[in-house]
Amino acid sequence: MSEKGEVDLTGAKQNTGVWLVKVPKYLSQQWAKASGRGEVGKLRIGKNQGKAEVSFTLNEDLTMIDSLGDKPSGVRAPRDHPFTMQTVGGQTLAVFTETQSEPSKDKIALEGVVVQRAECRPAASDNYMKLKRLQIEELSKPLRLSQQLEKAVTTNYKPVANHYNNLEYERKKKEEGKRARADKQQVLDMLFSAFEKHQYYNIKDLVDITKQPVSYLKEILRDIGIYNIKGTHKNTWELKPEYRHYQGEEEAKEADD
Amino acid sequence: MTSLGGSSSSSTEYTVRVPKNNSKKYSIMAFNSGDKVNCSTWTQASGTWTGKVMRRQARMERDMSNRRMYGGEETEEGAAGSEFGKKQREEARRKKFGIVTREFKVEDQPWILKINGKAGKRFKGQKKGGVTENASYYIFTQCPDGAFEAFPVNGWYNFVPQAKHRTLTAEEAEEEWGRRNKVVNHFSIMLQRRLREQERGPDDEDEEGEKGGKKKKKKKGARGGDLRIHDLEDDLELSSDESDSSREEGDNKPKKKESVAKGKGKKKKKKRGSDSEANEDSDDGDYEGLEVDYMSDESSSEEEAGEEKAKSNKEDGPKGIDEASDTEDESEEEKQNEEEGKEEEEEEEGKKTPVQMEKKKKRDSSGESDTSEDSDIDGEAASALFMVKKRTPPKRGGGRGSGGSSRTGSRPGTPSIDSASTSNTLRAAASKLEQGKRQVLGGSSDSPAAKRLKMEPGSTATTTQSPAPSGKSTPQPPSGKSTPSSSDVQLTEEAVRRYLIRKPMTTKDLLKKFQTKRTGLSSEQTVNVLAQILKRLNPERKNVNDKMHFYLTE
Repeated sequence: MSEKGEVDLTGAKQNTGVWLVKVPKYLSQQWAKASGRGEVGKLRIGKNQGKAEVSFTLNEDLTMIDSLGDKPSGVRAPRDHPFTMQTVGGQTLAVFTETQSEPSKDKIALEGVVVQRAECRPAASDNYMKLKRLQIEELSKPLRLSQQLEKAVTTNYKPVANHYNNLEYERKKKEEGKRARADKQQVLDMLFSAFEKHQYYNIKDLVDITKQPVSYLKEILRDIGIYNIKGTHKNTWELKPEYRHYQGEEEAKEADD
Repeated sequence: MTSLGGSSSSSTEYTVRVPKNNSKKYSIMAFNSGDKVNCSTWTQASGTWTGKVMRRQARMERDMSNRRMYGGEETEEGAAGSEFGKKQREEARRKKFGIVTREFKVEDQPWILKINGKAGKRFKGQKKGGVTENASYYIFTQCPDGAFEAFPVNGWYNFVPQAKHRTLTAEEAEEEWGRRNKVVNHFSIMLQRRLREQERGPDDEDEEGEKGGKKKKKKKGARGGDLRIHDLEDDLELSSDESDSSREEGDNKPKKKESVAKGKGKKKKKKRGSDSEANEDSDDGDYEGLEVDYMSDESSSEEEAGEEKAKSNKEDGPKGIDEASDTEDESEEEKQNEEEGKEEEEEEEGKKTPVQMEKKKKRDSSGESDTSEDSDIDGEAASALFMVKKRTPPKRGGGRGSGGSSRTGSRPGTPSIDSASTSNTLRAAASKLEQGKRQVLGGSSDSPAAKRLKMEPGSTATTTQSPAPSGKSTPQPPSGKSTPSSSDVQLTEEAVRRYLIRKPMTTKDLLKKFQTKRTGLSSEQTVNVLAQILKRLNPERKNVNDKMHFYLTE
């Protein structure tokens, strides 16, 4: 059991050495299409007169490239990829993983240390050139295109007697009816509970909360509250000082004394 | 696995697999090789046996200190002072003006890696952008069955070690930079900072009368008057560091001030505009018109320098050889030249407050009895001098003896301006000084030149001594450091003889050896003295490369 944040250091202990390989984008796309156990190709490591030669050969079935668009590309990915080996000097590279097996339980583990860096390069071949050409063509297309239309677009909207939204709105209004003046005491209760939550309110918001007609509400507010004209909270209503008992205010008052 | 035999090459083939179902996300941790990080050492067991050996010693978590920048700070919680629907209104306003705030993505936050618990190293790993854009990185691991498995790399994090020692903040670094020509003892910089913080820590919030009060006031004024961009995460880091409680307290204050300043900023903003205006969210420009205590760099730095030195003088801490020698130098110079007295007073005041100067002189002087008198007068002069912005030795128009004027010439590195008014007061003060102090305080004429400040005259080879080079050692009985053993700087017959014995030299070479900077004599004087010495020695002459070389055979 590891606590949150603990790094599982088994990889470091074993000093597992791994390779960091830079792979071209099209190749990683092809690899993503691999099926079954995920076999994508063969890696050949040879020693040619003292120098290590590494080359990767892509599986035959993975060479079909899907191009963007409808037509089949007819381009095939190159199969041979020699690796260029590089040293890791100048940087110590370690590999760590995050596993999220359960929600919010990140398990961090150190897998190993990079011992060799390599770049996977495609062997220059006709296939590769065609592939590159295809890529360039796709990239060079502008993102936005201006097109001239022959006919004006008439499918967006039609003139209508009254819009759907408006109808809705009017119906809703009718259903609700005019706001009725409730009992003053009830309104006061509603107001006090509202002001418990926030100190400053806009008149519109209060109308919403209490569902009272504006003039009636204003009358009541004039009794128990004050209207801020200037100041930080502009055009808002707040309770009169004798009515309010906020925690924060009391503390501030005490500190001032 | 097939192996192909070949005459000069042999190769083995391995299958490469890219596993599909990956709940694990791979990332790279990059350390600079200079940091010498060895991951295998992280798993050492800790020393204490507490029943369960602490084998796992590395912890890594996301650094969430940036969260509040994006999440937005809740300045007021609860009912007091809050408005109904304020958040929605703020958001609607931002949208209206097209202000797009980037989301706080946990994925992109830096990592904090702690090795070996609190006492061990700490690293911060920042995500390197652009890694997965054009090419993908894969990690190839060899499986037990010989095949390779390739995992795509999700992110690259560059880990840098975090300094556990104290560092200066940007403000302090700027100040120190301004004093870089004057400060020689660099160890004292951090020491003073530590002292400052210790003072700040145990004191209450409302202590203004402290020595550090001035500095803090400036900081407060600076914060309120000129909001500086500072690293929020620095604040957080420091406050979370439990090891130093005084630090915490000291940092709580800047935090409070910061929040106060921020609150001020916010209020101002509201005052200024209603929601219909596009108000700037950054408040940098709000405080431009405000008055600050003083704006000039020099004077402030001097004052603070004075305070700092005051603190350093409070304790008998590492004074550094230069400081110790300073006093001796200064006292020596005083007796010669009123201008020199002035100049070193200026130096003094740059480095110490008048009060402390006194104390320090009293403590330091080794066998110099008149320092008390000097320091009194110094104190007066120095307090008058506190107003001086640039501290430079005044241009000597006359002075006492040729030595004075020649001295100025011999100091290449000194800044040159001075105001006439101060020189008057200085002269007055220095004349009093001179009266009070008659005794020759030799001493330290040979203190190592390297430790001296540029401002100071190169050495203390006194002008009264210059006409008698051979007797250089003699007028310095009181001090114990009279032997010119450390450097061959003195223009003595001995020295010249040594050189000429060693190898033949031209007059130019000899002059080069006795640089005016180091011997304290002017070029004329050096020439004269050298000529006399040569006359006395009567070396043999030899013509090499069309140049007349002198040499001696012993």
